[in-house]
Amino acid sequence: MSDVTSTHSAQSQRVRAGTWRDAVLANGSVVSIALFFLIVSVIFSVATDAFLTSPNLLNILRQSAPLLIVAAAMTFVITTGGIDLSVGSVLALVATLSATLLQLGLPWPLVILAMLALGALLGAVQGYFVAYEGIPAFIVTLAGLSVIRGVALLITGGYSIPIEPGSPFTVLGRAWLLGVPAPALIALAILAIAYIAFNETPFGRYVTGIGANAEAVRRAGVNTRLTTLFVYVISAAAAALAGIIIAARLGSGSSNAGQGFELEVIAAVVLGGTSLFGGRGTIVGTVLGALTVAVIGNGLILAHLSPFLTPIVTGTIILIAIWLNFRLFRGAVRSR
Amino acid sequence: MSNSETYRVRMSGISKRYNAIQTLDDVSLVLRPGEVLGLVGDNGAGKSTLSKVLSGAVVPDAGTIEIDGMPVTFTSPAEARAARVEMVYQDLSLCDTVDVAGNLFLGREPRRRIAGISFLDKKRMHEQTRQMLDRLGIVIADTRLKVENLSGGQRQSIAIGRAASFEPSVLIMDEPTAALAVAEVEAVLDLIRAVSARGVSVILITHRLQDLFLVCDRIQVMYEGRNVAERLIGETNIEDVVNLIVGRKFNARSATNAYRDGAPA
Repeated sequence: MSDVTSTHSAQSQRVRAGTWRDAVLANGSVVSIALFFLIVSVIFSVATDAFLTSPNLLNILRQSAPLLIVAAAMTFVITTGGIDLSVGSVLALVATLSATLLQLGLPWPLVILAMLALGALLGAVQGYFVAYEGIPAFIVTLAGLSVIRGVALLITGGYSIPIEPGSPFTVLGRAWLLGVPAPALIALAILAIAYIAFNETPFGRYVTGIGANAEAVRRAGVNTRLTTLFVYVISAAAAALAGIIIAARLGSGSSNAGQGFELEVIAAVVLGGTSLFGGRGTIVGTVLGALTVAVIGNGLILAHLSPFLTPIVTGTIILIAIWLNFRLFRGAVRSR
Repeated sequence: MSNSETYRVRMSGISKRYNAIQTLDDVSLVLRPGEVLGLVGDNGAGKSTLSKVLSGAVVPDAGTIEIDGMPVTFTSPAEARAARVEMVYQDLSLCDTVDVAGNLFLGREPRRRIAGISFLDKKRMHEQTRQMLDRLGIVIADTRLKVENLSGGQRQSIAIGRAASFEPSVLIMDEPTAALAVAEVEAVLDLIRAVSARGVSVILITHRLQDLFLVCDRIQVMYEGRNVAERLIGETNIEDVVNLIVGRKFNARSATNAYRDGAPA
């Protein structure tokens, strides 16, 4: 064995020299979105007086909580090589249904549990068609987007349904605990769980593996179909939680809530460096991506610029960030 | 080669027909413990099909398989794996964006339970990976490297190492050295030797005849779905093997002096 080692020592040194560089490149996407986040934050801190104040920062966290929660879940979906376009519709259906059920007099804890279960069920149905019937996720969840939003519209007739302001349900969206808004605390807990599940559990490992080479994971004896189904359960349940938080914060359930939310979520995930082709995902990147999107929206308003600039700036940054990632990443592959 | 000897694997009378083509016609194969058998033949000679029969991926029309003297029938790769027959699939067994340790332990990661939830025990996984790699003489600087950053030979080594780590009694490799650089072929052949030295019987399918003479104990030649010859490695040479593969006396340029000199018999 020693002669084998000596024969290849030159080669192993070459590999070793590459290691730190590979590590930087592997995390290059996170590094680049962190830079974007810092740059955007610094610009708004300088340009406006109100941006870098703790009430505003907490407000950003409060408002971006639904985005952070669903983006963390979407990271799992996209890392398997899938996509979930139905999250905005699930959010709207849950928001309207929870308002309706509260109006009917159901106790609020029961409403929350029922809504989370509904989200999980919707995810399981879509996940079944993706994982067990082999229909592309884009198509399944596009159908889901249409049907689920349609149900929400049908229930409400297009009107928004008020939630009684005194209801303890609104605590989820409006309360402050230890000087931090409740939605931000919920988001923080979800992000911590998502980070651990993604990086430290066999489930997270299989999610990455399925995106990289589903056949290899299947041959390793893992139930890849169930794992794939489960990521859609996670994303729809997260969308349901986001719907509960939004209904609680706004004090009403609107069937028009979350229009285009799915695109905002996907933008945050992709901006964070998760590959749409699967196999490569990062929760830290997703958090930075979601916060960048949130900060841009907030900062432009504080700078008294037209809020209609937000989609333009966000879109431009997405393109530039992905372009940089792509160049960096491609370069790394070619240089070998 | 008396019949009283217990073979690791003994396949006899294996036949398989795909519509008009008799892919395997009354083929037999024996394999002793720790032996490296080279299975050669032209494209379509049936060597891949034969190996798939042994690994459970193809169910034969007729024939018997015995492992360690016990008759077995495989209807799926899982059943073959349960009988400790492993096949190395070239690019089908690795996840590019997962690290070396993760790939070696894919599907059976060391875990530790905290509050009823199982977490990856990464420390133990990397330690065991390092031991496994050292034991097999596989040179990988860092077990945290992603597999996509490895060379073709290193990837092949990880795939073989992964199969070997299931403690198989039979390991089947289909073209493990195809498309590898010279130094990498050497490393993979070293690995095959290391694996067989641990008592694993190896079936090596290859078109690189010079490799056979470096690692095999015996060569079995197939031609159009039949066994045509069997040679101990010391009793044959490349020219002989080439003639057996093509099925006639053939003065292939690849089988003359240049190659013969390069192949220590």
